[in-house]
Amino acid sequence: MVQAIQRRHKWGMVVDIDRCTGCQDCVVACHAENNVPLNDAKSFRAKRAHQWIRIERYWEGEFPNVKANFIPVMCQHCENAPCETVCPVYATYHNNEGMNVQIYNRCVGTRYCGNNCPYQVRFFNFWEPVWPESFKNQLNPDVTVRDRGIMEKCSFCVQRLHKAQRTIEGVDGKEITDQELKQRNFMPACVQSCATSALVFGDFLDPDSQVSRLKKAAYEEGGRGYRLAEALGTEPNVIYLKKVDIHTGHEVTTHA
Amino acid sequence: MGLTRRQFLRWSGASTLGAVVFYGCNIPDEELQIESPLGMPEEGLALGAENWYATICGQDAGTGVLVRVIDGRAKKIEGNPDYPMNQGKHSARSEAGLQALYHPDRISSPKYRENKSGEFRDISWEEARQLLADNVSNGGTAIITDPLSGHLALLVSKFAEGSGATHKAFKSVEEAVLAKVSEEVFGEKRLPDFDIANSKYILSFGADFLSTWQAPVRYASAYGEFRQGHSTRGIHTHVDPRFSMTSANADNWVPVKPGGEGVLAASMAYVIIRDGLAPSSIVSKLTDGEGAEHLAKFSPESSEVYAATGVDGHKIEELAHDFVDPHNQPSLAIGGGSAGAYTSGEFNLKAIYTLNILANNLNKSGGVRFNPDSPLESLNTDEVLAAGRPATLKEISELSSSGVQNVIIRGANPVYGLAGNGNFDSLLDRAKFVATFATSMDETANSSNLVLPELNYLESWGDSIPNPGPGYQILGLQQPIVTPFQEMARSFADELIHLSESLGLGLISQLQINDDPTIRGLVRRGADQLWSEGRGSVRADSADGFWQGALQRGGWWDVDAKRVSSANISKMENAWPSIEFGGEKGDGANTFNLIPFVSNSLLDGSLSNLPWLQATPDPVTSVTWASWVEISKQAAEEMDVTEGDLLELSAGGLKVKGPAYVHPAVPPWTVSMPFGQGHTVGEYAAGVGENVMSVIANMVDNGTGSLAWAATRVSVRNLGNSDGERIPKFEGTVEAYEVEERHILQITGPNGDSHGHGAH
Repeated sequence: MVQAIQRRHKWGMVVDIDRCTGCQDCVVACHAENNVPLNDAKSFRAKRAHQWIRIERYWEGEFPNVKANFIPVMCQHCENAPCETVCPVYATYHNNEGMNVQIYNRCVGTRYCGNNCPYQVRFFNFWEPVWPESFKNQLNPDVTVRDRGIMEKCSFCVQRLHKAQRTIEGVDGKEITDQELKQRNFMPACVQSCATSALVFGDFLDPDSQVSRLKKAAYEEGGRGYRLAEALGTEPNVIYLKKVDIHTGHEVTTHA
Repeated sequence: MGLTRRQFLRWSGASTLGAVVFYGCNIPDEELQIESPLGMPEEGLALGAENWYATICGQDAGTGVLVRVIDGRAKKIEGNPDYPMNQGKHSARSEAGLQALYHPDRISSPKYRENKSGEFRDISWEEARQLLADNVSNGGTAIITDPLSGHLALLVSKFAEGSGATHKAFKSVEEAVLAKVSEEVFGEKRLPDFDIANSKYILSFGADFLSTWQAPVRYASAYGEFRQGHSTRGIHTHVDPRFSMTSANADNWVPVKPGGEGVLAASMAYVIIRDGLAPSSIVSKLTDGEGAEHLAKFSPESSEVYAATGVDGHKIEELAHDFVDPHNQPSLAIGGGSAGAYTSGEFNLKAIYTLNILANNLNKSGGVRFNPDSPLESLNTDEVLAAGRPATLKEISELSSSGVQNVIIRGANPVYGLAGNGNFDSLLDRAKFVATFATSMDETANSSNLVLPELNYLESWGDSIPNPGPGYQILGLQQPIVTPFQEMARSFADELIHLSESLGLGLISQLQINDDPTIRGLVRRGADQLWSEGRGSVRADSADGFWQGALQRGGWWDVDAKRVSSANISKMENAWPSIEFGGEKGDGANTFNLIPFVSNSLLDGSLSNLPWLQATPDPVTSVTWASWVEISKQAAEEMDVTEGDLLELSAGGLKVKGPAYVHPAVPPWTVSMPFGQGHTVGEYAAGVGENVMSVIANMVDNGTGSLAWAATRVSVRNLGNSDGERIPKFEGTVEAYEVEERHILQITGPNGDSHGHGAH
């Protein structure tokens, strides 16, 4: 009989879009931590800018009763990830901690995973990433610089989690808690920077973690929880909390 | 008190932030170790090991940061969790400090040219120092810097006093109006701080406080709590002629007519007084016993009020009642940004801040508060505080017409930032000697005789007293966390001390820094004084222990040292303000109010040379690497404008161009353009977009002489887009459409009825 893998962690995120102000702090924090290539004007025009986490803005209504709503979108680390099954070389797979992982060395650049991802959070390196010599001083030595022809995406800052496991579990022999992640700076870069604390990261298997508590509240009566494109059955590990609008019952039309 | 950091983090939900004491040299080893470079070995480096250092951010005012250093190179900047102003959070602007540090444009050596249009040649520091000393000792000198605080402000003000030089702090989009209003309405020398987290109702005017205004990271982090940190969700109404990032986040946006903010606030005050909704003792002082009659001309029924604000009477009554509604207390009024940038700027902000007096929220939880004086007496003098207050356009113009011979500039780029306003160019043209301290070349350095390579803030010593502060005494410490990237770069402060010695001003003995005649010595002297106070966030047995402990934690603060402000309530102004506009006259077709705005990532243009920030999408439009003109759907239809069409804005002969961005939240009577682009110098800044400042009419606020940057009317001409050029932006080019059951962004009402939108 096949035995279920004993999971020690199930990493995930809870995103409260009623807190998100669309300030873009997370976007730049991610660039700095993960050696994301510099996006120039050309890459934006070609719709090939790399943003492992992005802020989408949706319009609602017409002037003067108009609103703009913001939502941060990053890799949803789906339990049932459509990107994983189509990779011919197993470059992307699901690890036993709930994360969708990309192995750059295996990637041969078929881009099937990018095509199959309903969230458009995978980015292909069409060009060799270039930094001026002096900017190379800033590159994070913990993160591989991806070559031309390689697919890349949000990793939940796996380098920080690995370090957390090496030091907290390995050296100190302690359990990883929210507390430890926060104090020793092992939270993903976007979560660390988020000024309004819209992004919360943690272990869904730890019942005391903030994400577990938020998840519980999110699906209680009157809770605000939902997941992106849930009907597709991708089972994302990112839970969103709905935006609150005090003007109930008014007509809305939406557009981008 | 007396709790350790570890206990504090565990209990932080229940206790006051910042109420933790660090014992110098005694930090539990299981926490993130923050090192002090004092204990750093030569070159500081075990290969591959990382160190974190605390310092303050030079790119986002008032932010304390931790910097990760590996092999002597800075790798990542993050918010300092202990620092009271930002509590571990930071902005994209702070993050990009690394690109400023390692910028390919860093100046490698002092450069000199006799003639301001000649070729620069590299010179030695000895020669540069000689040139500075020779020129400054000969003829009047003006020193223009960024707004300063802490010991650098003390040093510069002492230097100015001793040498007879004039010092002006410069910021192109200044808030001089707010500083004056704070003094007049509250009798306070420092800027107001707001307890956003504990407020239930925020009414803001013009101030884009979630994005760039004053201390945005502090406000944004409080805003998260205001929204979802309490059992009742706070309600936010924002009054702004432009749909800013703050407008986008507000529950209600009131697109007021430009300049009418003060009339709207005064009208609200009238309603509150008329309906007896404010304490009578306050009302009688505000109106000198006259009551509502005092403000009768601002009655919401008045047609003048409607003409000035564009907001109808019922809406004004509703806003006034909401503001003082007992369910919405404590409520808070915030004003600034464009609300203070009209000819009526001072009137506007006074009326707005008076609403706080009516809501009686001063010194209260969820209200307005002020920072106390520093325990370091030498930093409380008027001269030192003035060194942190940006000069008004009027003051800059006066300086331009004075007989100044020498100009020393540091950390400011007025040639770009004023773009012709205030006659600044003529000041530089006339001056016989212009010296600029800069980390990278910019427009002002390019108009100088002498360019001096300055250390980046991550390479030098300093300190900061944030203004607005956190509501209690604080001194943030800045320390060099990496060895200088450019070997020839030097500290501005240290060079100023050297210059003062050459001029024989005796500053070293006056400031009592004979042992260590540098800015570090000066900051250290202040730290020793703080140590002897024996209170606050760092305690130690010795001054050395205190110094090391304070550096490790990013500074010193005392949560108990608060200020109880006693507003001396004076009679409210009731003269109708004069709201005038420069630029195009008349209401001709295609004439609009131009409401420029400070860019979320590039600010007023001081950060435009950093590619991460150029590539950061604008929150509302998602545009990157460009300056653009926001125009309403209605106007776009009338003028046959589609996105990407080049629009020419002209105002009294001045012109600026930018591609159109049409969106549904632009009021039909305005167009908007961001500050920050149109540089002529800088690897990543030059040639991107145009500088909106170059079309701003020379209008000033009547009360203060501050630049009225929102008081320009422009006529707009569509130049078309024959090349089919597209705006570089992040959002898609195809309009989003609804997919049943797959709403990307879902919205719920307070009662749980949901709707949603967008799949793409």
